[in-house]
Amino acid sequence: MADLDYKGVWVYIEQKNGTAAGVSWELLGAGAELAKKLGTELAAVVIGNNAAQLCQEAFAYGAAKVYLLDDPVFQYYRTEPYYKSIVQLVNKYKPEVLLLGSTGVGRDLAGAVATALKTGLTEGCTKLDIDDKGLLLMTRPAYSGNIMATIVSPNARPQMATVRPRAMVMPVKDATRHGEIIREPAAIREEAIGVKVLEVIDSAQQGSGTVGLTNAEIIICVGRGVQSKENFQLLQDLADAMGGKVACTRAAVEDEIAPLDYWVGQSGITVRPKVYIACGVSGAIQHLAGMRDSGVIVAINYDRQAPIYEVSTYGIEGDCLQVIPAMTSYVKELKEKKS
Amino acid sequence: MSSRVWIFLGVAIVAIAFFLWSAYRRFRVIGLGQPENRFDSRGKRIRSMLFYPFTQLCTLSRSYLFSINHAFFFWSFLLLIAANVITLLWGLFPGMLPGGLYPVLALIFEIAWVIALLSIIISLLRRLVFRPKYTLPMTPDAAITMSFFVVLFVGYFGFQASEIARGVIKDSSLMPVSGWLASTFMGNATETPGNVFWWLFTGGLLGFIDYLAYTKHTHILASIPNCYFRSLEKVTTQPREDFEKSKTLGVGQIDQFRWNDLLDTFACTECGRCTDNCPATATDKPLNPRTVIHDLKYNLAINGRLLLTKKEAVLPLIGNDHEGSVAPDAIWACTTCGACMEMCPVFIEHVPKIVGMRRYLVEEKSQFPEELSKFFENVKQRSNPWGLPPPERVKWAMPLRGKPYLPGKTDYLFYVGCAGSFDTRAKQTTLAIARILDAAGISWGILGMQEKCCGDSVRRLGYEFNFDKMARENIKLFQDKKVTKIITACPHCYSTFKNDYCQYGAEFEVMHYSELVSNLIKEGKLPLKQNADLGKVVFHDSCYLGRYNGIYQAPREVLAAVSGQAPAEIAHNHEKGFCCGAGGGRMWMEENLGTRINTKRVEEALQEDPKTICACCPYCITMLEDGLKEKKAENNIKVLDLAEIVAGALENKDRAKNSFDLTEK
Repeated sequence: MADLDYKGVWVYIEQKNGTAAGVSWELLGAGAELAKKLGTELAAVVIGNNAAQLCQEAFAYGAAKVYLLDDPVFQYYRTEPYYKSIVQLVNKYKPEVLLLGSTGVGRDLAGAVATALKTGLTEGCTKLDIDDKGLLLMTRPAYSGNIMATIVSPNARPQMATVRPRAMVMPVKDATRHGEIIREPAAIREEAIGVKVLEVIDSAQQGSGTVGLTNAEIIICVGRGVQSKENFQLLQDLADAMGGKVACTRAAVEDEIAPLDYWVGQSGITVRPKVYIACGVSGAIQHLAGMRDSGVIVAINYDRQAPIYEVSTYGIEGDCLQVIPAMTSYVKELKEKKS
Repeated sequence: MSSRVWIFLGVAIVAIAFFLWSAYRRFRVIGLGQPENRFDSRGKRIRSMLFYPFTQLCTLSRSYLFSINHAFFFWSFLLLIAANVITLLWGLFPGMLPGGLYPVLALIFEIAWVIALLSIIISLLRRLVFRPKYTLPMTPDAAITMSFFVVLFVGYFGFQASEIARGVIKDSSLMPVSGWLASTFMGNATETPGNVFWWLFTGGLLGFIDYLAYTKHTHILASIPNCYFRSLEKVTTQPREDFEKSKTLGVGQIDQFRWNDLLDTFACTECGRCTDNCPATATDKPLNPRTVIHDLKYNLAINGRLLLTKKEAVLPLIGNDHEGSVAPDAIWACTTCGACMEMCPVFIEHVPKIVGMRRYLVEEKSQFPEELSKFFENVKQRSNPWGLPPPERVKWAMPLRGKPYLPGKTDYLFYVGCAGSFDTRAKQTTLAIARILDAAGISWGILGMQEKCCGDSVRRLGYEFNFDKMARENIKLFQDKKVTKIITACPHCYSTFKNDYCQYGAEFEVMHYSELVSNLIKEGKLPLKQNADLGKVVFHDSCYLGRYNGIYQAPREVLAAVSGQAPAEIAHNHEKGFCCGAGGGRMWMEENLGTRINTKRVEEALQEDPKTICACCPYCITMLEDGLKEKKAENNIKVLDLAEIVAGALENKDRAKNSFDLTEK
């Protein structure tokens, strides 16, 4: 039977250089709902070096309590100090639910924590709920996305889940909220850690255009149909107007319409934006493999037979070079009206 | 016995003992290799060992003009072995002058010597004056070997001429060269010149034998055994890996090759026919099959002795520049097209060696081009290269409302394959095949969502562990469904089922659709009208159809039946067909080094000025279409799958019977 000593819903706040991952705040929103249903309180776990400023932000997003582990060993993410510290924290305070973002770091950490705690973990959830017995219902796609599986952890505690970014709604920020900060020490000293970070090579600082692409919510994709480097600006204008990023296909790179950094596809970058506008993109399978999970796909192509129409939500049959400027001016018009 | 015999015996025994000792030292490292049974079917092996070298078909059948030179040299060399033995004995026992037929033999020997000398001169000119690109420049090694030959030549004829001049040989009418030499240079000779020439000859012969074991000319010693120990089947697959026992997966050190792979390196004489036909070499990739074999031999020379004495190897097998013998970029550049093996006169197996090293990189080191991590993950999780949801496998068949394979009721399993199921372009081929099968009234069905990737790319890329799992699962599925006959759309699925799965004891009757269609047309079961609007058609041989499985004629016959004339040939065709660039898992990798293989192939095809390029493989179709786009020729020239051409030529009534349209998606 489940250990009834475990109480409370925790959300791990993933941060890098003092900035939290968006999914962590989304999880506070979801966590608040769960805590309400369970009649318990919502706490955030902030781990970092000089990360105290995140506590206030956590309160603003709905946490009632923040467990803060502020120590130089947490300067860079490393599995060992992070997971050992969380395990120590969990053993001390015994939360019944522990949520993490399904990001690179979150998945690494969650697995290590769950293994050490000998509890279950549901990876990549898209929905969370509480059943009438007070168990956490963790729902995620299974069998290649063919069914949704709901998983419970009836005995082991805490009930752990990682949640996909943007699966939950970002809660409203309320800066007037306050809460209690509980400081805890790191579970491990620097000398005892086998892995040292010598240098962080950040592709963002090396001027690569790809960094923004994986997280972009709106992507305008340049295909061979854009024809020339000169026309590339038309798409950049639309992207700027919509607050999105420009991507491109393999063929566009080949024709030197767009640089390699922007390349989406099987061996390029995989993207999952909310809106993907494919301009003059035929939709070869190697490209589709990199973008087919986008939310809304808008295809602009004069060829009705182009395979891009197989995956698109909306299609605009026409020359993208005429359609795009029209879209840009319409977006600008809408924005002006709004402001 | 004269003192000469004793001196000769002394020298000869030392020389031969030295030769045996060096040959033993050189070749014993072969024993370091992993076990492989090449000792079966002795009769067949002996026939192969006699047939290929002695007819010289091993090289003559590879369509190189220069092979004729080699053949004449080889045959005269054989005759000269007899000439040499006779000359040796003659010098040792002067009284035992051969009589009887000897004058005729002497003539034959003289002709053989002249032919041998001529072919050496031709070889020299070829290396020095008009050197083909694929051959290596003249090496000191080769120069020394050739000079030995000249020494033998001088010794032989000098001896014969002195014997004529001395009057030992009375009738020199059938000895034009020695006779002329004797009458021109040797008036009334003493014994001395004869002795000098004989010793020159003997020294040259023994020296040559001793030198042999230290040069690339071990080819002379190792290539005939290599014909004995060759793979009796065409090399269309790679050996299975034992996951239970072996310590290391794949080949990361020279002694992890099979012993026959090591023997291969000695059989190589670096003729360069492999290199001349390698699509990677032709497009300036770091892969050169001849260099790979040479570098393996060098690695074996450095490490072999250490490994024999249980010491650590000092030269790594895989590494960049001077860090290892074979660079990872070379290993990954291979398309496994098999042109190297097809062209190799001494049956060297390049591709299994390269795949062996890939296995080590993938399974032991996790070092592979980063694009492949996505591919491996997708295949592992969803059993298709793009990671698409398996239910989408059946989408192409929507217009057919599904056509499941029913065990016991359906004759043929139509195995669609990943490309044919998911790739919009290849789906058109799939539909075309479906229409053809229906038009011919064949009972067929598909596995639908249960179909999985065949594992071809996975195996060629060296992820053997996963291939092993995929092969077992597929075989089980086929057996559960009581499948006996399989039609495939893709040559890669075809070859994998036919040549790879049989390593698991699975025997299915596998057919590529082009074979089936060719048979159907011959039997008059396919109602065709001739299709006029194809224009000039060229046919591109897919490696896994042609070279791997010998299917060259079927697609050409089908094209001829449909278009009324045989297709035109691209410069490289049939056995010499040039890969599209996507085989061996290259489909899933970037081609960042050198120029593009597909572009080169398309350029070659464009020289024939075709209207249609026909191929029978979804990879080829993709690569050729991309190449056409690269050349901005996609509006004038079409790349069509053979099935599309045939389906387009079906008589209208058969079109009507099938309610779906090719363009429907």
